[in-house]
Amino acid sequence: MKEKISVSVSLKSYKADTIRYAAYAVSGGAYVLLGPGKKGEVEAAFEPKPNASAKYRAGLQKLFESELRDEKMRSEIADANRELREFMVLKALSAADDAGTQAGDYAGLTPAQEKELDALIAEVEREIKTETAGKERKDPLGITKTWEEKHGSEPFKNKNKK
Amino acid sequence: MAQNLLKIKTKNSVAQTNPPHFYWREVDGAYLISNDSGCHAWLDAAAFKRFSAGTLREKDKAFEELSSKGFIRDRLDFADLAAKWKSKNSHLSCGPGLHIFVMTLRCDHKCLYCQSGAISLSAKGADMKWPAAKKSVDFAFQTTAPGLTIEFQGGEPLLNWAVLKKTVSYARKKEKLSGKRLNLGLVSNFSRMTEGYARFLLENEVSLCTSLDGPADLHNRNRICSGGNAHVSVRKWLRYFTRRNTGQGAGYRIFKPSALLTVTKFSLGRAPEIIDEYAGLGLEDVFIRPLSPIGYAKNSWSAIGYTAADFVAFYKESLGYILKLNRKGAVIREKMAAMLLEKIIGFSDPGYLDMRCPCGAAVGQIAYNYNGDLYTCDEGRMAAWEGDDLFKIGNVFRDSYKKAVSCSTARSCVAASELHLQPACSRCAYSPYCGVCPVYNYEAQGSLWGNMPANERCAFMKGIFGILFSKLKNSKDREILQKWVKK
Amino acid sequence: MGEKVKSHSRRIMFSKQIYAAEAVKLAAYVFSDKADIKLASSAGGVEAEVSWEGKDCAVAGEFANEVLNQQCRLDLAVKNGKVANMIVTKALLSASGETVKKRGKQ
Repeated sequence: MKEKISVSVSLKSYKADTIRYAAYAVSGGAYVLLGPGKKGEVEAAFEPKPNASAKYRAGLQKLFESELRDEKMRSEIADANRELREFMVLKALSAADDAGTQAGDYAGLTPAQEKELDALIAEVEREIKTETAGKERKDPLGITKTWEEKHGSEPFKNKNKK
Repeated sequence: MAQNLLKIKTKNSVAQTNPPHFYWREVDGAYLISNDSGCHAWLDAAAFKRFSAGTLREKDKAFEELSSKGFIRDRLDFADLAAKWKSKNSHLSCGPGLHIFVMTLRCDHKCLYCQSGAISLSAKGADMKWPAAKKSVDFAFQTTAPGLTIEFQGGEPLLNWAVLKKTVSYARKKEKLSGKRLNLGLVSNFSRMTEGYARFLLENEVSLCTSLDGPADLHNRNRICSGGNAHVSVRKWLRYFTRRNTGQGAGYRIFKPSALLTVTKFSLGRAPEIIDEYAGLGLEDVFIRPLSPIGYAKNSWSAIGYTAADFVAFYKESLGYILKLNRKGAVIREKMAAMLLEKIIGFSDPGYLDMRCPCGAAVGQIAYNYNGDLYTCDEGRMAAWEGDDLFKIGNVFRDSYKKAVSCSTARSCVAASELHLQPACSRCAYSPYCGVCPVYNYEAQGSLWGNMPANERCAFMKGIFGILFSKLKNSKDREILQKWVKK
Repeated sequence: MGEKVKSHSRRIMFSKQIYAAEAVKLAAYVFSDKADIKLASSAGGVEAEVSWEGKDCAVAGEFANEVLNQQCRLDLAVKNGKVANMIVTKALLSASGETVKKRGKQ
């Protein structure tokens, strides 16, 4: 049988959205369904999740009731400070930006700059072509050799010693 | 919990001693309070009761501190609080700074938790070609950020050396012509590193980063290398780059190499050994990263995964050990802690894209796949590799910069990660310092916004914040932690 | 959770006094790859028939939680929508290179 805990909450004491959030806050450990109870009440039905501990199950109702009280206070503070908060964020966002730049400033290069860049790229490409083409490859830095070619693949035998 | 109701009638008759907006969290009978500007304070139960009821008076012990931190309504310094908010959220003023170039999907490792969709060495058609690389550099330089970082990743990026080298050269030349500040980084397993490659990378001021999961047996268990012992390469080249960093004097900056730790089930219980491995190699940062259920890790979770509680316990042990080493004079810090502390006590933006509001998807970072496809981030690219293109924002050949960063996917991710719209986050004392990941939420819970009461990432972040705030209460730990900020 | 209809199916009534129809629809969309969900409006609210394959009996409960999640999001949007919109707009406009002033907004 699945264990169910039902708690009735008066809408005179708590608003509907307060009850919803309090139920949501405990939904990490339980499945929750809210529904109308007796007149002027909401019934919160909780079913602890299979991995919920016995301690959690025993304390679930108290946890929900605590969340109700917390959320009531939180809601009142939020309502009283909503405009102030909006003002603060707007003030912070409206301050002059010295960090941002316009996308158009760096969107492209002038024709002369493009030409210079193309020339530099062509130079790099020629260097790479020279390095990789022909029988006598010059590779003084060993750039074209892979790690395995240089060192061989050594199978791991012992624990690495410091 | 507080039984007194606030003395609030209508908004026009709010008593001035009633508090402005704040968040709170009860921790072992004490209360952590925080506000949107990022200030925080601790109150005992009695003081919290008076504070929340609006009955705190000037003679109260906590009054002066709360007053200076924006918790007393009629003492608010709007300019200071707005400045702190702005500084902590400076990422809102500019576009993507991090550009991740996936040079190839090929790799010679088969890491148990791979999130990059790595494929075999012999695979065809999985390398970034030069036209795509050039176009990607051009695209990245269109960012509205004043500076950018191009980070070369894979698979193993060194497997596509020819194009990588050309891209580095091109990007550096573009930097000079554009006037933007460019940082270049390479994330590599180092198995393919050579002296020649190293020289070129250092001459072009490319910073090096690798993965180091701990001592050899642990590292090699997590990161299986087809060429042999993955750990040997990592140690060898970390030592090499550290020596070069110490030497300097070459006419260009040589950055200290860094390493990332990915915690698997095999790491649990071995925190001191792992930290000692980092310290022994002279690394100054350990970035303790939890697994995410993305990529290979999703399918092998039962073998390598763990609960949030397990990770938090590991993190606590690791941080404690690192602080102990610090007290003995070692120069080593935990990177995630350092970045979060920049927000908590530094009131500045550490540029930690995973932990900001809104998250960095498209507006803070872009991932460029080998074929020019653009994604919100590397995790979003991995979701696409698994068959879901939700996080694709365009293609370098077809789409403009503006179109990509303002597409519907970008907008959805930004909205989904805006914490004021998250039911749990908007009420959480840690929210001024936190952030959610829409990709994680989608992969783990089926939607961009997720469901925080049952979200494991939320659980381990709460655990980490709990540890950090607790450490900050200890004066000796606080002294060390303060040094970690803006090192 | 809900009324048992057949072995892998549950009916759950979401009262309109508590849950908006939009919340139920959003949750059904989120669960579209986990379960087959049929919604029917009634005088009391929205009835959801949740059917699924496999032995996982948590699906119906998880769906109910997702509906509550969506409802709480809707509640919050009413309260915090203005602040959130300011931040989201700023982030997107900064990334794309537009400014708020250019669009005539303060």
